[in-house]
Amino acid sequence: MIGFLVRRILAAIPVLFGVATLVFFILRLLPGDPIALMLAGAPADEETMNNLRQQFGLDQPLIMQYFTFLGHIATGNFGQSFVRSEPVMGMIGEQFVSTLMLTLASTLIAVVLGAVLGVISAIHRNGWADFVIRIISLLGISMPTFWSGILLILIFSVHLNWFPATGSGGFSRLVLPACALGLVGAGFIVRMVRNSMLEVINEQFIMTLRSKGLSERIVMYQHALRNALIPAVTMVGVQIGELLAGAVIIETVFARQGLGRLIVDAIMNKDFPTVEGAVLFTAIVYVVVNILVDVSYSVIDPRVRTSN
Amino acid sequence: MRLTRTKQVVCSLLLVTSLLAGCGKESAAPAPASGTPGTEAKASGGEFIFGLASEPTVLDPGVEPSAAGYRVFRQIFDSLVVETADHSFKPWLATSWEISPDAKQFTFHLRKDVKFHDGTPFNAEAVKFNFDRIVDPKTKSRFAVSLIGPYDSSEVIDEYTIRVNFKQPHAPFMEALSQAFLGMASPTAVKKFGDKFGQNPVGTGPFVFEKWIQKSEIALNKNPDYNWAPETAGHTGAAYLDKLIYRIIPEDSTRVGSVQSGQIAAAETIPPQNIVAFKNDSNIQMLEAQSPGSPYTLMLNTTKQPWDDVKVRTAVMLAIDMDTIVKTLYMGTYQRAWGPLTPSTAGYDPKVENSWKPDTAKANQLLDEAGWTERDANGTRMKNGQPLVMNYLIGTPNREKRHDIGTMMQQQLKQIGISVKIDLQATNAVVSAIMNGQYDMTGTSLVQGDPDVLRSIYHSINTPTPQKFAFNLGHLENQEIDQLLMDGLKSTDLKVRSDIYAKVQEYLIENALTLPTYVFPYTVAAQKEFTGIQFDSRAYPLFYDVAKTQ
Repeated sequence: MIGFLVRRILAAIPVLFGVATLVFFILRLLPGDPIALMLAGAPADEETMNNLRQQFGLDQPLIMQYFTFLGHIATGNFGQSFVRSEPVMGMIGEQFVSTLMLTLASTLIAVVLGAVLGVISAIHRNGWADFVIRIISLLGISMPTFWSGILLILIFSVHLNWFPATGSGGFSRLVLPACALGLVGAGFIVRMVRNSMLEVINEQFIMTLRSKGLSERIVMYQHALRNALIPAVTMVGVQIGELLAGAVIIETVFARQGLGRLIVDAIMNKDFPTVEGAVLFTAIVYVVVNILVDVSYSVIDPRVRTSN
Repeated sequence: MRLTRTKQVVCSLLLVTSLLAGCGKESAAPAPASGTPGTEAKASGGEFIFGLASEPTVLDPGVEPSAAGYRVFRQIFDSLVVETADHSFKPWLATSWEISPDAKQFTFHLRKDVKFHDGTPFNAEAVKFNFDRIVDPKTKSRFAVSLIGPYDSSEVIDEYTIRVNFKQPHAPFMEALSQAFLGMASPTAVKKFGDKFGQNPVGTGPFVFEKWIQKSEIALNKNPDYNWAPETAGHTGAAYLDKLIYRIIPEDSTRVGSVQSGQIAAAETIPPQNIVAFKNDSNIQMLEAQSPGSPYTLMLNTTKQPWDDVKVRTAVMLAIDMDTIVKTLYMGTYQRAWGPLTPSTAGYDPKVENSWKPDTAKANQLLDEAGWTERDANGTRMKNGQPLVMNYLIGTPNREKRHDIGTMMQQQLKQIGISVKIDLQATNAVVSAIMNGQYDMTGTSLVQGDPDVLRSIYHSINTPTPQKFAFNLGHLENQEIDQLLMDGLKSTDLKVRSDIYAKVQEYLIENALTLPTYVFPYTVAAQKEFTGIQFDSRAYPLFYDVAKTQ
């Protein structure tokens, strides 16, 4: 197990180096002058602009800027934001907590709702419950989150006044955005669980369990679901990545703090160090989540453990 | 409907109970000196949440260029002078001043009773520190440095007298000085926080910075010692509110919904369709202030053919029905613009009003005269085998429906055989395209109270180049206009200046060098229980007088 972990972590280094290099050059190849954007539409003379360029090291040759950047990240320093004169690491830390809460809450909603509805749907295959659940899952997948987000605000915040529409921090502010995001994930997981449950139900060990006289509930939830969960767990790993990305829109709609908004605003302002730091950080999170997913297989399925 | 009524009853009961409870507590306190029964009493205290559409980058007025920043730091930083609605200047942190006839020396006598939030005394040294800091390259000023212009030095005459010297005449300095961008920051705090001053702003204003939760909210508290409001304010002493919170809500519908449901006290930048609805809402007041400066103005790139030809430019101007465009897109909530300045700007020339009207026949005639007589299969005019195509460069997102202006223009110009291509680009790419001159038409708007804003948009020194982002988008190179724009800097007499700037405004319209569209109204929707939301001369909100009515 430890050998496996070490191998996976070593393999992640070239991935992160690639991400860092790509984001560095893509940012600089895209049109637009960060200094001009920094002025936010205010007029400035050449002297002012040249001074700003010099202060931010943008007058240096590209290759020099690249080596300085690599030197920084090798020592764990993501640099200072152009627009805020603050260490990027601190800005990421401040935003990440909120994104993490949102991701965890919506993953929880997606997994619980997805697994429960998926099992019900499989048990009542082609019945009316299955039919309704499949429609709900289709809606969850196909509704754009900005739309379902606004809809949730209109119903539960503007009209019913149950939850605040905006802000971050506190349980009540988490409910609506987590639902908006969780519904999408739930939609996918319902389909995944339903399909793998249907496969598992038809396997011989289920028949054996039933003939032993075990109750249907124990057969379904203790034995069948456990086997059906493996593909769903893979899905969760992918979903967490999706959620990190999808959070951008939800964070904007609900005016929440978050890493997504930090990245989008930084891209708009061409705040190079912030984009580089935040993208690299997101890549690290992706890598870590995927390693965790791999590890979790062996927890759920003892066969993976023994084959290792 | 029934639910709303029940809620109203519950709310009124709660209100009555809390009022009774409040009365009980306050009975021990001495009776207020003034206040006649029956008049609306102003409640001191309470919290006010304001929905901001975008987040400032830093709250350092010497560095930050954005309007979003201004809307916050105007409450934290005071200025030396305040501009009134009639474009004269009144005392604020300065009690009086003298200006040399050549507009190169400005001497200010300062108030002696002012302290920064951190206890630092406000004096001539502090003013000198502020101006010297803005021009210091290490400050990385993005806008204040432009406002201070040809700054030379500051001399401390005595503890409360300061003289500011300029290398060249700088008449717009008084207007610049009244803006929060040149507001007074505490020298002690600037030295203490260095680069981080923008996250820890300290001024002399009616509100004291408390905290900034990035991407979420900025909280300010009342400055209890505040006693130096300018005479344009509605009262003296400390602000009525205990706490002023800016919540950052970028999404329009969320911001609007938050005011509608009463979760926040007020919100800014209300879309036209919601303005119409809010005007009929009995719980909400709609407040508007017209931005001074340049309206959203379209300009044709005169370095590119055929836009160097005044006949072709005039044809474009005559073919566009601006009244229809503005009325259709903004549902009667925006005013159309007639000239290169908006009506609330000092030196505005009302003669431009009604000076150009749609005339398709005349437009067609001018294009014929200019030699664009052939037509291709789509009806687009041609000359020497080249079609008459106009590329309209515009950025995303669709700010104030500027894309739709392009679409309507496309239909209208088709009538005279000009084909409009709408070139939609991300903001970054628009900046590049402007610096490289890759457009036939594009537009801008600038907020500024002084007519010197015209120099930013029509003087040849402000032509964009691949090294410089500036706003002479028409690439106008006209010595006479350049000279008039420089003459306007030399006198501080508004009458003399207005005459100079009137010539510029009329010339630009006569030669179709500017195509003004709409005047941007800064809009605020607020709960009716709050009074006293004011706007400064640049249409930015002031919260010093805000109170809850009882």
